[in-house]
Amino acid sequence: MSAASLRVEAAAKQFGGLKVFEGISFEVPAGGIMGVIGPNGAGKTTLINVMAGMLAPSSGRILLGDRDITGMPFHLVSRLGVARSFQQTNTFRSVSVEENLFRAQRFGAAQEGPDLGIHQMLEEFGLAGHLDEPSEKLPYGLQKMLGLIMVLAARPKFLLLDEPAAGLERRERILVDRFVEHARKTIGCGVLVVEHDMELVKRLCPHILVLEAGRLLAEGAPAEVLSRRDVIDAYLGASDD
Amino acid sequence: MSPHRHRDFKLDIWGVALVLPLLLVPLFTTSPLLNSLTYQAAIGVSAAMAVYVMLRMGLLSFTVPAFMAFGGYAAAMLAKSGVTTNLLALMAVSFIVPALVAIPLGTLVLRLKGVYFIFITFIFNEILQLILFETPTLTGGSDGISGVPPATLFGIDLGKPALLVVVTVVVCIVATLITLAVTQRWRAEFTSIEENETLAESLGVAVWKYRTIGFVASAGVSGLAGFSLVNMLSTAHPSSFASWSVNSYIAYAFVGGRGTMLGIAVGSLLLIVMTNVFSAYAHLSAGLYGILLLAVMMAAPSGLVGGVVQLVDKFRSRSRPAAAAPVQEKQA
Repeated sequence: MSAASLRVEAAAKQFGGLKVFEGISFEVPAGGIMGVIGPNGAGKTTLINVMAGMLAPSSGRILLGDRDITGMPFHLVSRLGVARSFQQTNTFRSVSVEENLFRAQRFGAAQEGPDLGIHQMLEEFGLAGHLDEPSEKLPYGLQKMLGLIMVLAARPKFLLLDEPAAGLERRERILVDRFVEHARKTIGCGVLVVEHDMELVKRLCPHILVLEAGRLLAEGAPAEVLSRRDVIDAYLGASDD
Repeated sequence: MSPHRHRDFKLDIWGVALVLPLLLVPLFTTSPLLNSLTYQAAIGVSAAMAVYVMLRMGLLSFTVPAFMAFGGYAAAMLAKSGVTTNLLALMAVSFIVPALVAIPLGTLVLRLKGVYFIFITFIFNEILQLILFETPTLTGGSDGISGVPPATLFGIDLGKPALLVVVTVVVCIVATLITLAVTQRWRAEFTSIEENETLAESLGVAVWKYRTIGFVASAGVSGLAGFSLVNMLSTAHPSSFASWSVNSYIAYAFVGGRGTMLGIAVGSLLLIVMTNVFSAYAHLSAGLYGILLLAVMMAAPSGLVGGVVQLVDKFRSRSRPAAAAPVQEKQA
């Protein structure tokens, strides 16, 4: 096991009598990328919530390296280096893009380290001309990309990306690829991507997990996993034929 | 510093600057009305600053009168018992005692938000009122603590009317500077918690910690206001810290604009002056006050200063369409 990997061990989460997922175990290696796919309601976002400390698991453990971070407060998990993005746009809406970035850097896990290349990303994603604008005035795609850059500005060891391409136009989705490449290149962080866009998952992730109804249905390389009958059935629904 | 933060900082500094001229009033006039207005304004601004600290985090706290009572009674007990009448010592005690009370109280109430937080902080005032009335050996009960000796400094008796006003204004300036220091030092954390608590937490902000810092600072600032009131009246009495009085302090903040210290100062000064103007109309005064509040809040929901800031922003954004056009085109 890598000293700085992010491990999920036999994690389960239930709300009252409703089991969201159970028996989930996997490991995101330091600097590695893992994709998590599954139909709606499979428990993907709840898994991210549990890994990020927003929710405590009902059982099982979350380990960052050798450190047990199970049930630690959300902000503390973030400061230890496990940061998440959100499905919907999530910025400090009334303040400028520049102020959003300032806050992310100020609150982040580490204040110093290698150059994050934030300005390069702002240019590349089309945000550089909007630095003084309130983030709520930006188009949806730019707000979404700003949210991703803010997570990176906090210098995490692991990025948990919850449907980073959701709501983006097809031409904008390539920016998510660039963001992930950039994050890995600059700070070498591990990345867990929950996503419905299969093309994006195939491009980015050498290893994927498939969740279905709270169970780990399959795991492996995308080409192999996505050709499995049970995975196709889980996504498209099983046929009687 | 981004333009947004720079502007907010300037508006906060203007809030402090607006209070400073109050020091001159007792030096240039002996008019009882003007001196009365000055000390009312100084106490009102101090108490409204305590409301402001919590509003920076999106929390509407009703604890101000209770913490004023802690500060006022602590200073009164110290002065009356002959331990000290030193102004600096009394100010320190009136800040520290409520701040210490706020720590355990904060661990209980700061988990709550919205109406639950408002309700529990209001109830805290009522409980304290009951305690003040039911502990006569300690607090004087319904008689309060009367005959509190005025503060002194380096052997100078500060009990003369003009000096009492000066002391009240000085305490107000100190309360305002403490508010400035706390809200500027942790402005990013406070405003992030107010605007998007989940995002702030996801980026590493320990929300409970900053809420506690704000609550403790707000309690201390309230305590200073309470000391001013007791020092001015020479009496610590439960009625000076009645629960309903917080409505006025909250109104000051909302009418002036709850986003900046300038708004707090403007709202406090305006409403205190207008209260005195309306009092000339006896039975109509409460109604006129209400109409004023309604008119301001309908015309400028973000307060007078907030409304002006929005107008300036709108004007500026209209005056630079040429610069914005290429960017919009690129986006399209």
